[in-house]
Amino acid sequence: MRSTFMGLEASKRGLYTQQSALYTTGHNIANANTEGYSRQRVNMEPTLGYPGTGLNAPKVAGFIGTGVKASSVQRIRDAFVDRQYRQETNKLGYWETKSKSISQLEDILNEPSDYGLAKALDGFWNSLQDLHVHPEDGGARTVVVQRAIAVADSFHYIYNSIQQLKENAANEIGITLRDINSVLEQIAHLNYQIQSVEPNGYMPNDLYDERDKLLDQLSTYIPIELEYEKSGGNALAIAEGSVRVFLKLSDGTKVKLVDGKDFAQLRNSGASTSDGLTPTKSVEGFKIVRVDEFGKETVVDKNWNVDIDNNAQIKINQFSNLGKLKSLVDSYGYDINGNQKGLFPENLEKINKLAKEFAEAFNKLHGLGTDLDGDPGVEFFVKNNSKDKEITAGNIYVSDTIINSPNKIAASDSGKAEPGNGKAEPGNGNAEPGNGNAEPGNGNAEPGNGKNALALANLKFQTLEGLFGVSIQSYFEGFVGQLGVDGQQAERLTYNAQTLQQSVSERRSSISSVSLDEEMTNMIAFQQAYNANARMITAIDEILDKIINGMGRVGL
Amino acid sequence: MRVTQSMLSNNMLRNLSESYRKLGKYQDQITTGKKVNRPSDDPVVVMKGIGYRTELNKVQQFSRNIGEAYNWLDTTDDTLDKIGSALQRARELMVQASSDTATPEDRLQINSELQQLREHIQSLANTKIGNKYIFSGTKTTTPPFDNGYPEPIDDAFFKGIEIEVFSGIQIQINTTPIQLLKDIDSIFSDINTSMDKESAGKLSSFLESIDNVMDKILTTRADIGARQNRIELMDERLQSQEVIATKQMSENEDIDYEKAITNLITQESIHRAALSTGARIVQPTLVDFLR
Repeated sequence: MRSTFMGLEASKRGLYTQQSALYTTGHNIANANTEGYSRQRVNMEPTLGYPGTGLNAPKVAGFIGTGVKASSVQRIRDAFVDRQYRQETNKLGYWETKSKSISQLEDILNEPSDYGLAKALDGFWNSLQDLHVHPEDGGARTVVVQRAIAVADSFHYIYNSIQQLKENAANEIGITLRDINSVLEQIAHLNYQIQSVEPNGYMPNDLYDERDKLLDQLSTYIPIELEYEKSGGNALAIAEGSVRVFLKLSDGTKVKLVDGKDFAQLRNSGASTSDGLTPTKSVEGFKIVRVDEFGKETVVDKNWNVDIDNNAQIKINQFSNLGKLKSLVDSYGYDINGNQKGLFPENLEKINKLAKEFAEAFNKLHGLGTDLDGDPGVEFFVKNNSKDKEITAGNIYVSDTIINSPNKIAASDSGKAEPGNGKAEPGNGNAEPGNGNAEPGNGNAEPGNGKNALALANLKFQTLEGLFGVSIQSYFEGFVGQLGVDGQQAERLTYNAQTLQQSVSERRSSISSVSLDEEMTNMIAFQQAYNANARMITAIDEILDKIINGMGRVGL
Repeated sequence: MRVTQSMLSNNMLRNLSESYRKLGKYQDQITTGKKVNRPSDDPVVVMKGIGYRTELNKVQQFSRNIGEAYNWLDTTDDTLDKIGSALQRARELMVQASSDTATPEDRLQINSELQQLREHIQSLANTKIGNKYIFSGTKTTTPPFDNGYPEPIDDAFFKGIEIEVFSGIQIQINTTPIQLLKDIDSIFSDINTSMDKESAGKLSSFLESIDNVMDKILTTRADIGARQNRIELMDERLQSQEVIATKQMSENEDIDYEKAITNLITQESIHRAALSTGARIVQPTLVDFLR
């Protein structure tokens, strides 16, 4: 026989359950704009029917419903979409950073414009052309000197700016590593909390959201791979468990970074600042260390990760082109078996080469000419720092001799045309030994001769061996063009990754984000159900009233 | 697909910022007048642009060089013309002097005028453009005559000054009649020494030498005229080159204003539409309709 008050109990359960659903709706609405929040749902299930099975179970028409219970509160999320989202974020992180680096380089070169190196070289060419028309004119000579200084300054500006960019990239690598390490630590900490909650049969949905947000953040920096480990004890089947985070290398090797509440940290394996984060020289790779509570660092061994060898160093070429960290390293420069690679170092090398070849070819030609006094040309461009092996874009300067006396510019080709001197005829009985014009040097001073100035001007369009057989003009054009093509590619790939990430993100929102209309509808549904349960209790109250107060009073 | 408020508002924001980006691009294009502002906008256009700029700069420089060439040739021609007139006058005087009716006093008077002409021709030979002596070859700072006496000369006095008037094309702008000038000077010097001593018949032989050098002057001037013609042709060519280079550069990188402004206006109306639909979609929720 069932209990008289059973109906009250069933409806009370209904009240409670609808109430918790209503509260969850409230939680959803409250978090409608919380980043990374997934909407939650109360899973309701009917409680066990009456009577239960057993030998002494009463023989009545079986399994009358006994009401409802909230079995669990679950967040609505699709792990597969998360995975896709992180893959796209990886790509986006890489290309976005690359595109940024290239556009910074473009800003420095400032082409096409009227202020770049090309313009300075054009101006220098103009001044030499003017000099070849007016070789004896002091004004034309001074202009050549000033324009040459402008060319050197343009080289310095590009050189120093790229150096500056390199330094900034190094700092950004340091900050990124610090961020990664902090995220790893936070994930491990969340794992710890989740591990302590789940065995009690709870679903720590908000902790899961928090952890997924951190994993999203981590995936902008490095490519990651996840494994989940169920908690023991009384954990629910739908509980997610603690997460193991791996760094995924290009050959598919997985390097463990977080395992439960334990976590490792990333450090630069090459030369770097004392905290091991900001590189001071080209990056060689990264190493995985564990930090104990006293701050002592030990490189991880086989016990931590079975997939990497004992010294736990990951060379930079083992990284795939994914994530912001690799992109920053690509920009800053890295070292593969002693070869310096990377966007900034390679472009720096190109501009150095241009400066060196230009200066050397110019000096060589200048030395063949003669100046206003008939002396052969001195070095026109010099390196200001004698410790450097050769001229670079950073140390190219116009020689002080030239700056102090522009008459030393060898505009004339008289020395070349007339080896020996004017009328010098040794041994012709005259009392004039050696030279006829009483002029020092091996050239006959010809103030009106501007042929060498013309040759110097047109050096710009001459092919040079050192520049792989192209002229200074076309080498620079090629340099800018290459940068443009790379920049365009990076921009296009950034755009692609962004579009893909957006569409995945859209799908994710479609699954997990809070819809206010839906919550309102739910609110009405739960509220009405609550009201109906309350009405049910009233109905039972009435039948009990009938039994208690109305029965056995026949005729009264 | 389930669509939520946050998706709508995110999409709206993203679309609006994309729309702003396009507006910004057109604004950039219209204010700078250029299609591209950085190499990655269009590497080919930028590379060509650097080339065209250099090309145009070259053509402008060559035009400047040609101006200098005109200056030299015109001055040289004019100077030689004046020397020619002076020689003409000298010839007339010599005709008078070589007449048997001329007395020694007459001859001395004529000679003094001739010696004035000599100084005149010397100063013409010392003509300068700016601070450059035009008849000194490449030794432009040394005058051909110093205080009435010819300077000792060397090879450099016979050297041409060539300037570039087009890629790889050089034109000699000076003329080197230094020997001729010296010959003229020595004729005058010979006349000076023989005027009061020689007979009329002997003096008339100078007429022949004067005719000789006048002939040479004319030949030199003919050569200058030919060069002037050549430079004029080159100048015309350069002028049309400048127009072509400017046009090429403009076609390569300048925007088409009609097109850019039309694009801007189209984008503007799209932007308005996006704003107004956004405002309509984002506002209402079920909450507005529940009691």
